[in-house]
Amino acid sequence: MSLSILRLARFSARGLVRDLRAADVRALFVALALAVAASTMIGFFLDRLDRGLTRQASQLLGGDLVLEQGRPFDAELRTTLEEAGLVLSDQVDMVSMVSLADAFQPASLKVVDDRYPLYGGVHVDQGEGVEVVAHGPSPGEVWLAPRLALLLEAEIGDRVRLGESELAVGGMVEREPDQSAGFGSFNPRLMMHRDDMEATELVQDGSRVSFELLGAGPPDILDDLAPLLERLRRDGVEVRDVRRDRPGLGSALERAERYLSLAGLAAVLLAGVAVAMSTRRYVDRHLDTAALLRCFGATQGELSRLFGLQLLWLALAASVLGALLGLAGQGALLALLTAILPLELPPPGMLPLWLGVFTALSVLVGFAGPTLLRLKRVSALKVLRRELDPLPASAWLVVAVASGVFGGLLWLYSGDPGLALGLLLGGLVMLMVLWGLGSLLLGGVLRLAARLPRDGREAGVAQALRLGGAQLARRRTASLGQLLAFAVTFFAMAMIALVRGDLLSTWEAQLPAETPNYFAINIQPHEREAFEASLSGAADARSALYPMVRGRITAINDMAPREAVPAEARGDNALRRELNLTWRETLPEGNRLVAGTWFEKRRSGQESEQESGQESGQEESEPSGWYAEVVSESATSPEAERVPISVEDGLAERLGLGLGDTLTFTIGAAEIIGEVSSLRDLDWDSFRPNFFVIFPPGVLERFGHSYITAFHLDDAEREVQRGLVRDFPGVTLLNVDAILAQVRDLLSRVTRAVEVVLVFVLLAGVSVLYAALTASLPVRAHESGLLRVFGAGNRLLSRVQGAEFAILGLASGLMGALLAELAAAALYLAWLDLAPRLHLWLWLVLPLGGALLIGVIGHLLSRNLRRQAPATSLGLLGET
Amino acid sequence: MTPILHAEHLIKQVRSGERQLTILSDLALSVFPGETVAILGQSGAGKSTLLGLLAGLDLPTGGELMMFGQRLADLGEDGRARLRAGRVGFVFQNFQLLPTLTALENVLLPLELSPRGDSEQRAREWLARVGLGERLDHLPKQLSGGEQQRVALARAFVTGAELVFADEPTGNLDTETGERIIDALFSLNREAGTTLVLVTHDHALARRCDRCLRLGHGRLEEMALDEVGA
Repeated sequence: MSLSILRLARFSARGLVRDLRAADVRALFVALALAVAASTMIGFFLDRLDRGLTRQASQLLGGDLVLEQGRPFDAELRTTLEEAGLVLSDQVDMVSMVSLADAFQPASLKVVDDRYPLYGGVHVDQGEGVEVVAHGPSPGEVWLAPRLALLLEAEIGDRVRLGESELAVGGMVEREPDQSAGFGSFNPRLMMHRDDMEATELVQDGSRVSFELLGAGPPDILDDLAPLLERLRRDGVEVRDVRRDRPGLGSALERAERYLSLAGLAAVLLAGVAVAMSTRRYVDRHLDTAALLRCFGATQGELSRLFGLQLLWLALAASVLGALLGLAGQGALLALLTAILPLELPPPGMLPLWLGVFTALSVLVGFAGPTLLRLKRVSALKVLRRELDPLPASAWLVVAVASGVFGGLLWLYSGDPGLALGLLLGGLVMLMVLWGLGSLLLGGVLRLAARLPRDGREAGVAQALRLGGAQLARRRTASLGQLLAFAVTFFAMAMIALVRGDLLSTWEAQLPAETPNYFAINIQPHEREAFEASLSGAADARSALYPMVRGRITAINDMAPREAVPAEARGDNALRRELNLTWRETLPEGNRLVAGTWFEKRRSGQESEQESGQESGQEESEPSGWYAEVVSESATSPEAERVPISVEDGLAERLGLGLGDTLTFTIGAAEIIGEVSSLRDLDWDSFRPNFFVIFPPGVLERFGHSYITAFHLDDAEREVQRGLVRDFPGVTLLNVDAILAQVRDLLSRVTRAVEVVLVFVLLAGVSVLYAALTASLPVRAHESGLLRVFGAGNRLLSRVQGAEFAILGLASGLMGALLAELAAAALYLAWLDLAPRLHLWLWLVLPLGGALLIGVIGHLLSRNLRRQAPATSLGLLGET
Repeated sequence: MTPILHAEHLIKQVRSGERQLTILSDLALSVFPGETVAILGQSGAGKSTLLGLLAGLDLPTGGELMMFGQRLADLGEDGRARLRAGRVGFVFQNFQLLPTLTALENVLLPLELSPRGDSEQRAREWLARVGLGERLDHLPKQLSGGEQQRVALARAFVTGAELVFADEPTGNLDTETGERIIDALFSLNREAGTTLVLVTHDHALARRCDRCLRLGHGRLEEMALDEVGA
């Protein structure tokens, strides 16, 4: 006779409802709900942010995939792409003359079909004000950019001539969702329908026309299409896809994202520890039930299913509550961050919800599974012989399964198996160290407790400490478990608080009060000294003056740049426009060498008689000892000598450049070949002039150049600003106060978002304390009962318990501090890109705070025990 | 008639440190359907061990043991559990009621494992028969010891068990309450036509059974009822 699943489901659900009265089930519920809340909150938020960024990228590109070539795309390719699941739209770009009456203007034509735009909307005025529409012009009409309409003196309803056709002006296009800049982007826009294209007869053999095929679909389709796209790239088709051309977040937001993931995982880990602690009590409490059911004929499988289902219901109920909390939490995060996010976020998706439920179930299986197996192994004979409890699950098995599951979650959430494995192994090593350390500590406590005075009036506290310490040390295994759980809890709470503090102070250091709020550009060489003199008395802080020369990269390793770089970098901005180049004797402030060596003076040339004494290091003319002679050679000789250059690390990575690679720059009519001699890491958010490429002195001085600098002026120093404008009319002063304020606002909002998450982690920590302390109550009740039988008063019991909890808190606080310090150092180096530092306050706050927190919570929770009659306390063990 | 319980050459040994202790040696027993059998013995004689073996809660070290015509040695833990489901009832010295379940829920517990359509109705009826029809929703801690044991009696008979094992059913009760419980046990047993095997050191209780067996030195010996003193 076996139980049907339906009957088991009903039976288990009824059991759970009855069980809700038990403290361990409540602790399990709270812990699981918190795990789900933390993971869904962060999941919802990051998912929306990610999809928002992808959608923005798709919109800017015009589709998730954009193919471009000089001839129409064939039907076979279309079929392949459509069968893969992409919705396609055709577009043609070209430049053509457009006329109205006597006015002629070149226009940048964009020919679109009925599916345009695949993403976003077109801002167009069709005579009734600007509205956003999800289509392009209809056949027979054109939409003009207002500038083109102005130049042609065209109005809505006029008919403009385009090739052999005349088309009606149907609207003024203010903004297009996609901003792909082609060769015609300097000319004003004319948008028309594809059906009118043939009649214009504009596309002839040899016309400079660009055909684009845009596709929209789920981004993972692009993975399936990777081989096809690679082939197309080799065939000369320009391929842009949403994954590679995504806009990045600022470093502050990126770090915040990582912090949020980390905090979410910390909350999940804490919830896991709480689940493990509560499960032990849950299992102890259900051993009698399991034995009785075995006696009545339940099989091991039925017992597993019964208790498994009971906890499944609990996990599902906790998931619902947790998901609702998570949804509210992500709402709070968004309310803080929406204003500063440069995009519209899509509504929350379902994925984080499933991930949340999955997290709850994983935590349950991982942290409760091995302990739950005890219920299945219970012998029916226990009904006759109470002492026949099944052996507790091996501590190593519990740790191994929990670590495996947590490692999996780490992998899932960080997407980085290496990091997950590293953290996991590190965590396990730390756990072993803690285990050893905890054993030593407990042994020490026992020895110390034995030496405390046993009599005398002043022995009150000593007696409490002696008895409390002895009780703690006697229950060695249980105490060790609690010690580790509390240590891990304090560690996780401290880590999250610690990283938050360091993150904030790093952000503050990044934008100190004297962050430059003005940029001055176009300072001519002859104005340089006077400009510096004007600033030196007034500006609180200023960067060096950097000379600036504009040059274009025209070859990389003697090949055309597009051929020399990885396929995905072919459209890189650095290859499409002129770069600002500078020269410098020393490494600029805020830059860090990551490879190679900084420039050295040429030993072969004439040695400099004297070093330039200027701090800024720019040499205006005749920089002897540097590279002056190279320039004169390179202007005449095709075998120009290469000069060393320093390249920004990020650019080098994008273009696939390493030390020793050469870049040929065309500056005016001259060509200069630079050999990468060093790579630099720099902070683009620093509000200082930053350069992709730096030359040594002596190479660029002969070209036309101006200077740039950044400096800080207080409101009180506005007079200086007016003086600068008056004395240097050619210099452009840019005030970046508004941008600075925006960045500061961003940081303060991100800070608050981080604090929302911190609250969740703290709550998860408290849930561990609650779970562990309630789990230990029956044993403590038994001990209190015995002490009471032997004549201990309420006062002594209270003191003994207080002492026990305080010792536990103190020891776990110490261990938590050690763990936090070590882990923070590793994390800063590996993940958050911050410099490690020692946190002395941690060693004070955690042990003392731990003693206080555990002391108070434990004291409160055991208040009822002290009120119980000894008979009740002694009977309590294993019965409730 | 086939015995409902049959044991031959039953041996139970346990290891205590280096020593092997023999609790039961070469024990034989047959219990036939409808019989009431008392097993008497001193504390530590191995009564509970024998009960555990007879009910299939534990396995003997040697010998043959059959329940409902099935060799228990041929069945695994789960097989023996299935054999018990719905056919075997238990009454324990310490009642073994689950503290978080009401009286009704405690009686319903074995019915959850041997489902029938009218489970709840049956449970209510059995509780009414033991005089607790008004205390259905009370938790064990709200009931006296005697009332708790009556709940346990209802639970033992509610599935229509063919065989009920009772382990010192009055051990935790005062004399007067104990007698009332025994009255109830034998009356229910009679009404249901169940086979009852009880272990006790209470001679008065043993005398009410059809047969009495004494467990001593690991063996069982039949006692005449008039041998069973007060």
